[in-house]
Amino acid sequence: MLKKRNNWKTIIALTTALVLVLSGCAGTNKASNTDKNASPAATTDAATAAAPAKGGELTYALATSPDTLDPHRSGLAVAVRAIRTIHDNLVAQLPDGTIQPWLATEWAVSEDGLSYTFKLRQDVKFHDGTPFNAEAVKYNYDRILNPETKAANSAALIRPYKSADVIDEFTVKLNLETPSNAFLGNLSQALVSIVSPTAAQKYGDQLGKNPVGTGPFKFVSWEENSQITVERNPDYKWAPPLVANQEAPYLDKVIFKIAPEEATRIGSVQSGQVLAGETIPPQNILALEKDEKLQLFKSNTQGLPYTLFINENKAPWNELKARQALQAAIDVDAIVKTLYLGTYDRAWSPLTPGTFGYDKSLEGGVKPDLDKANALLDELGYVKGADGVRAKDGKKLTLHYVDGSPNREKRNDIAAIIQQQLKQIGIAVEVEITKDVRTVVYENGNYDIYGNSQVNSDPEALRSFYHSGAVSVGANQNLPGFKNAEVDGWIDQGLIEKDETKRQELYAKVQQAIIEQAVIIPIYVFPYTIAASKTVKDIKFDSLAYPLFNDAFIQK
Amino acid sequence: MLKTISIRLFTSLLVILGSLVLVFVIVYLLPGDPVLSMVDPSTVTPEVLASLRAQLGVDRPLYEQFGSYVSKVLQGDFGKSIVNDEPVLPKIITHLPATLALTAASCFIAAVVGIWLGVLSAIHRDRWIDITARVVGLFGISMPTFWSGILLILIFSITLDWFPAMGSEGWKTLVLPAVGLGIVGAGFVVRLVRNSMLEVINEPFIVTLRAKGVAEKLVMYRHALRNALIPALTMIGVLSGELLAGTVVIETVFSRQGIGRVISDALMAKDLPVVQGVVFFSAIMYVIINLIVDLSYRMIDPRVRRSQ
Amino acid sequence: MKETAVAKTAWPRTRAMRRSAPRTAKLNVSNLLVYAAGFVVIFIVLCALMPGQIAPYSPTEMVMTDIMLPPSLTHFFGTDYYGRDVFSVVVYGSRDSLLIGLASVLIGGLLGASIGALSGFLGGIFDTVIMGFIEVLMTIPGILFALAIAAAMGPSLFNVVLAVALSAVPGYARVFRGQIISVKGRPFITAARSVGAGNLRIFFRHVLPNAWSPLLVMATIGLGTSILIGSGLSFLGLGVIKEIPDWGTLLSQGRGYLTVAWWMSTFPGLAITMLVLSVNLMGDKLRDHIDPKKSRF
Repeated sequence: MLKKRNNWKTIIALTTALVLVLSGCAGTNKASNTDKNASPAATTDAATAAAPAKGGELTYALATSPDTLDPHRSGLAVAVRAIRTIHDNLVAQLPDGTIQPWLATEWAVSEDGLSYTFKLRQDVKFHDGTPFNAEAVKYNYDRILNPETKAANSAALIRPYKSADVIDEFTVKLNLETPSNAFLGNLSQALVSIVSPTAAQKYGDQLGKNPVGTGPFKFVSWEENSQITVERNPDYKWAPPLVANQEAPYLDKVIFKIAPEEATRIGSVQSGQVLAGETIPPQNILALEKDEKLQLFKSNTQGLPYTLFINENKAPWNELKARQALQAAIDVDAIVKTLYLGTYDRAWSPLTPGTFGYDKSLEGGVKPDLDKANALLDELGYVKGADGVRAKDGKKLTLHYVDGSPNREKRNDIAAIIQQQLKQIGIAVEVEITKDVRTVVYENGNYDIYGNSQVNSDPEALRSFYHSGAVSVGANQNLPGFKNAEVDGWIDQGLIEKDETKRQELYAKVQQAIIEQAVIIPIYVFPYTIAASKTVKDIKFDSLAYPLFNDAFIQK
Repeated sequence: MLKTISIRLFTSLLVILGSLVLVFVIVYLLPGDPVLSMVDPSTVTPEVLASLRAQLGVDRPLYEQFGSYVSKVLQGDFGKSIVNDEPVLPKIITHLPATLALTAASCFIAAVVGIWLGVLSAIHRDRWIDITARVVGLFGISMPTFWSGILLILIFSITLDWFPAMGSEGWKTLVLPAVGLGIVGAGFVVRLVRNSMLEVINEPFIVTLRAKGVAEKLVMYRHALRNALIPALTMIGVLSGELLAGTVVIETVFSRQGIGRVISDALMAKDLPVVQGVVFFSAIMYVIINLIVDLSYRMIDPRVRRSQ
Repeated sequence: MKETAVAKTAWPRTRAMRRSAPRTAKLNVSNLLVYAAGFVVIFIVLCALMPGQIAPYSPTEMVMTDIMLPPSLTHFFGTDYYGRDVFSVVVYGSRDSLLIGLASVLIGGLLGASIGALSGFLGGIFDTVIMGFIEVLMTIPGILFALAIAAAMGPSLFNVVLAVALSAVPGYARVFRGQIISVKGRPFITAARSVGAGNLRIFFRHVLPNAWSPLLVMATIGLGTSILIGSGLSFLGLGVIKEIPDWGTLLSQGRGYLTVAWWMSTFPGLAITMLVLSVNLMGDKLRDHIDPKKSRF
């Protein structure tokens, strides 16, 4: 009998819920109708007049499947979308690059730059009830260093962290091997966010399926390849200054649906089956802007733009003139306009505009000039043959262009256009699209041009790509095979320079040198995009363009 | 009968073991380093790589890896995914129901549509109905599944909003992917049923039945179809394998949970334990389905039954 | 239908006998369809042989000012996101599409048939071992096999052909072996043996000519399947990327534009479907024509 009554209760509850949901939907439709005269493409900074409404579930379609929700182990940006909702960091980086308090209230850096002392918030609890304190911070960063954790990208981010000393319950001192200006910025990244030590010990290598943090949302469930559900953390009151709402989020739940097929993902947003979807291709962005029910959230990523690296260890690209010919022949504007239809910004520098130290003076500097390109190749002694391909000493001028598969952000299409553009100056481009970039590029170094980008919080990111000490390719060169003592010195100095203006100048010199010597062809700055129903309000972004749902609400 | 079954079971075991060896070798031959697929290669340090390799045991020689794998499988331990340490067995068990449901639903659609069109086209051989039925059936096997899948989504989900475009909960999410996959199967079944119906129609017993004045419908559906289905039945084994393979594409298009996606992701990431686990299970399923087909073959076909 | 009433021996059928009972007028509708299919195939083969004569534009010419134009008289199939003429790209793309189909059927068929023939004809322990191995291969569905090979070797035209071909080998081997064994048991082989013909002679003169017809049917239909598997590989990101893409790649690349510029993927998709459909229709006809089972008793 008891059981039966319970069933009845469930049914009544469900029916009520259904009625509520249905009426909610009806309300939603009305709201979107009255919203017609709002600007068609609302951006993040568009102020919303409406008071936030509490409750509701935000369904959010992700473009790929996360690998793990253990921040210290993840290697995929898509995982960070969910990780970010569950975990917090010691500090936060604002879009202007400044570092602000988060779980740490204040900090002091020692004179030698080798130790950072953080005062921590005293009112923070993990979702499992574990108190957040200095021990927890030490445990987390030591966990990243511990090989058994199998930390991947976080291990690179936490460098040069060495050890931590617990001063008192809410004071922790982090010791570094070498000084690093990038350290604080890196500490703000989701991949080095703080997990519950109790949970990490309890679940061991299964933490990725049972994440526990201090974040605005608690982990509920992860049905692999289908959806990840997180629910409001009612105790939350330690939001970063990136968002307005310092208390618990308005949404009851965020449900991340995993929808790898573009057409399915975007179609589901258009038909209202999900409220929001990420990574919207340019052609759909244009269509969305005409859609009265939908809006677009957009945030440019920081760090290194999508850049084509010219491999100087392959002849003739060791010659400055040959590289300059490529620089003059590749019409980046045409590529970006054709493929991204004006929705992506063209990149001009090895850094993206939002990154600290970005040199604006480079903008507009490189212009397509076929005559110049032809002249440069003539000077090198390459003569056009009957087939239109240049040759010297019987050797044809070919360019081995390597790109990865699948066709992320239409990068394969860039290769196809450049193939046609370089044909005009007599260079035969062999495009190799490979599933296995790691072997072809990073192990064998078998490329003349390879493109890549990196989301990062500090210009120190330049080191892995342009410092001669970085040997990611075949353990003996960086991606462009670029060796320049002056640039090395500037990058080294930039890591420790305390004066911000001087630091800025150092990075400006690095960027100018790289463009002047035609080391790379910067192509585009990737904007993280979300298409959402107009009823979804106030999705914000952290400085690396990961979405934050603290302020988000669904207008009823 | 028992002897036949036990021999079959024994050879099946050999087949499963063989498929394990084969997949192990294939995945081993895949180029690239599984460890490198877990990290950002432009920032990773050699020390981190070496420690990851040692942790995962991928630095040991092939035979050692295989040996330890087999001995663990015999103890019921299928290992853990190298990407995120997820145990393989629960992973497969999580994904299997969705794939089985999809395969079963599409098999059902394939059988119903295929048999209906096949019989129609055999009865009306070389008339318009036959031509239409065959062309309709052939359309199913002439379109790339990802294309028909996307078209189904555009029409029935986004435009008409009858069924959801993604997910794997509830029967509604099953409809579109099952249709997408089912029309492929239907194409095969139409051809098969048509051909064997044509064959059976000319058998002496059908001629006799007709001569005896049995109603044509009864002759066709009761006697001819029953006999024509026998060769079709043998195809079900092959067909279910094909449909299972079709899930690789369909599950991605419709964002469904399932084994197809698990294995294609695992193959791309060189996640050996997961690939091994899935192949092990699909080999078992293949063997079981064929065993069932074999046995039911004996039950349906009077000739085989009598010869027992 | 009448022809089956004529009693036939199990002796090898001849062309004359096959044509012995011409069908009635009803046939014409069916034949019409096969003619239409033949026309489609011939047109596509012509496209592959001399695309320059058929395509109005260069397939690589990108006119960046004319991107995503809908179909019109100047561009029959519209233009794509590069500003290329879709019709011209499809015409040129027929080459690689046909090549993927033909080459993988040839390689897969020859390899599979040889294995099946040897296994079936020799029998004994050799047969057991080979068929055991084939059985192992059969447990792994074709596309997974192709996926593994393509993932292993990278997306080049040759590798896609190889992947598709190898994944079809077990199927061919199995069918051909069955066929060889059934022919081997027929009375005319015993007869040939009794007059003292050697193994080789029996195999090449008597068994092979009477066993290959189902293989032909299978190969015709396999042509379609190969093209489809090839396009499936493109979808999974393992297809061939070339300056002039094949239809599967075109379809796969254009699918993201379906709601914005439907013509970009629809025409390559239709081209694949028309080709595979036509090939299948012809395969069916061929089967109707030469399947010896049709005329048993």
